[in-house]
Amino acid sequence: MGADLTEVTDFLTARAPFRELPGRLLRSLVRHSELRYVRRGTRILSVGEPGGSMFVLRSGAVDITDPEGGLVERSDPGTCFGMSTLVERAPSRFDFTAIEDSLLLVVPGATFHATCEQDQAFATFFTSAHTARLRRAVSLLHTTDRGGAVLRTRMGDLVRRDPISVAPGASIRAVAQLMAAQHVSSVLVQEDGRLVGIVTDRDLRTRVLAAGLDPAGTVREVMTPDPATTRTDALAFEGLMEMIDRRIHHLPVLDRAGGLRGMVTGTDLMRLEHNNPVYLVADLEAARDVATLATLATRIPVIVDQLVAEDATAQDIGRVVTSLGDAIERRLLLLTEADLGPPPVPYCWVVLGSQARHEQGLASDQDNALVIGDEMTKEHEHYFAQLALQVSAGLAECGYPPCPGEVMATNPRWRVPVATWRAHFSRWVDTPEPQAVLNGSIFFDMRPLHGAVDLVEGLRTDVLARTRGADLFLAYLARHAVARRPPIGFFRGLVLEREGRHRDRLDLKAGGVAAVVELARVHALLSGSPEVNSHARLDAAARAGSISADLAAELTDALEFVGYLRLRHQGRAVRAGREPDNFVDPATLTDFERRHLRDAFRIVRAAQQALTQRLPLESLS
Amino acid sequence: MRLWRRRAPDRAVRELDLLAVDLETTGLDPSRHQILSIGMIPVRGLAIELGGARQFLVRPAGTAGVGPSATVHGITDDVAAGAAPLEQVLPEVLAALEGRVLLAHHASIEVGFLTRACRDRGLSVPDLTVVDTVRLQRRVLRRGHVHSQVAEDDLALGAARRHLGLPRYHPHDALTDALACAELYLAQVAALGEDLTLRQLLR
Repeated sequence: MGADLTEVTDFLTARAPFRELPGRLLRSLVRHSELRYVRRGTRILSVGEPGGSMFVLRSGAVDITDPEGGLVERSDPGTCFGMSTLVERAPSRFDFTAIEDSLLLVVPGATFHATCEQDQAFATFFTSAHTARLRRAVSLLHTTDRGGAVLRTRMGDLVRRDPISVAPGASIRAVAQLMAAQHVSSVLVQEDGRLVGIVTDRDLRTRVLAAGLDPAGTVREVMTPDPATTRTDALAFEGLMEMIDRRIHHLPVLDRAGGLRGMVTGTDLMRLEHNNPVYLVADLEAARDVATLATLATRIPVIVDQLVAEDATAQDIGRVVTSLGDAIERRLLLLTEADLGPPPVPYCWVVLGSQARHEQGLASDQDNALVIGDEMTKEHEHYFAQLALQVSAGLAECGYPPCPGEVMATNPRWRVPVATWRAHFSRWVDTPEPQAVLNGSIFFDMRPLHGAVDLVEGLRTDVLARTRGADLFLAYLARHAVARRPPIGFFRGLVLEREGRHRDRLDLKAGGVAAVVELARVHALLSGSPEVNSHARLDAAARAGSISADLAAELTDALEFVGYLRLRHQGRAVRAGREPDNFVDPATLTDFERRHLRDAFRIVRAAQQALTQRLPLESLS
Repeated sequence: MRLWRRRAPDRAVRELDLLAVDLETTGLDPSRHQILSIGMIPVRGLAIELGGARQFLVRPAGTAGVGPSATVHGITDDVAAGAAPLEQVLPEVLAALEGRVLLAHHASIEVGFLTRACRDRGLSVPDLTVVDTVRLQRRVLRRGHVHSQVAEDDLALGAARRHLGLPRYHPHDALTDALACAELYLAQVAALGEDLTLRQLLR
């Protein structure tokens, strides 16, 4: 007459910290718990409420948000939450909201505490790791001022792993081998449970190698005795100051009782500079599979949101988002090549459109193509089809939806040898037709991302040599560029989207960003400039005299301003849990912004008129 | 009618005490087949009380044994032979049902076998109020489509749970199925509206 709730216990034992819990304690925990079901949208626990239970998400999804509405964590099944109220015996600091219909295991506070008392590992898991993780996430997410995270984070929260230590009698060689095996740049030297020294990479370099010391000697001879330390509750800021003052990169962290807790390095502190996407790029490049990439990609909107809050320029944000997008795509290509084997003939994976121009935003589709060596034969087609398919699927998983116009390497038309590309470009440039030019224009914003770059360089040089004098082609392209009328009259409510999902919204892309992008492209091709970035193109066009320097500067400003509003709008959307798009409610703009927006649109219109005068559009039928 | 009155039909779902019950049997006919295992788990309002979960193995009477049904629930003759006879188990089940609404998926099986078991042993047949998650699922699936037909396959326990986003369980263990039924009930009540009364559940 046993009553083993195997489905519940099996679910828990698959996860930390329940996995390590003795069966007796686990069964007791289950027996004292309840199962509850909440509908999507239900607030499970709010900021300031006493809580009093631990929740384990059995199925569904729960969002954890801070009082400002910033997303702290999106919980998957198996996630525990709510125990901060139990551990800290304080009201909840977060809102917990079911975003899908969810089944919850509710562990009463008394049961939670009883389990903690009987199992030290269980207690430690919740008292240190989880709360530290949450707190770290919050401080990283919500730093409105530069340096804020450094002022809020405690050194103890930065400790990533148990300290690695040796005895003073250990040989120098053994210590070096330990450091290599553990991938650390320093080890601590402990004697009788007491910290007596530290050995760093630098010590091995200067005190051993450079001094010609025998590595068979003991570490006591080369360590720095009685190193500077910090405490778990010291601010990261204080740790940083300590490191700068002493010109050191490693700080051992001690707890209140003087016990060694771990090590914090200068790199750990730099990671707190949350607006540092360099680390995300490094993480992306080390990702071992698509799932990891997809998880990392969810950090991109957070970074954009922060960059906007810090008043980074739209141009810079575009570059950052593009480098992150590039890193994801490159990693996917490498993973796919590892899966499929080396390519049978050289190829180059190119990106197109905003990514090629280094102007990627948050609502970007996939735009890519394959330029393959001319030695390609029919039997090679399968390899490249498979490559395109896997990379495209991976991109979709990372949040880049497929291009609705199918301008992607998965489309056999855009997965062809150099000679076929040459024929495509020749058709667009030499015997242009309005629609074909329009459809082909995206291919003039092409940037090699991975593979045999020379395949593309040659192609682009040839194409640019021909566009300069191709009057009819340029005229079609210009006609298309000036057809995007900026919504100058939006103050009178005349040009807002009239219907559908974006009713009464202002499209910042069509008549704003995209209009400038297209103007810049026409001018670049007119002057034969190889640039693809819009700012660079306008610069080059001004230098070549294709556009006046004043107008080029004004267009650059207009692009920057509209682009900034668009990114800010997208950042807000992501923070609020909506899909980012290009449609802004004019009511959310300040008077200042409206005035500038109207100026920006007027500049775009003036540049369009100047182009119309320059190119004989009227002569076209 | 005494029990019925006590479980006033206007009682709100969130104040209802139920007992989710699942039986594993040697077949579907209470007059010919036997109970092999009983799983039950209480639902208090909108929460499943895991601490009240019970499971009984039952030794079948006579010599017929487990028969081919072993392939479904995995209870072999050897296991069943070591179990308690239904005479011992039945009073415990009836006591647990006292004051509670019986909750089951395809409740006619549970009601049929329990009623028959009481009658065969000269026990008074309890006056059961029954909520059937199959019937509730039919209503969940019909929401907004008054005249639409519901396919029988969609009413199976696993399919109904899948429809409401509940995790997949290994079927045909009496206690797991009782838990599965109880969770399904919570999801159904959430979908149909937690302000329901018992009367509305029985409709």
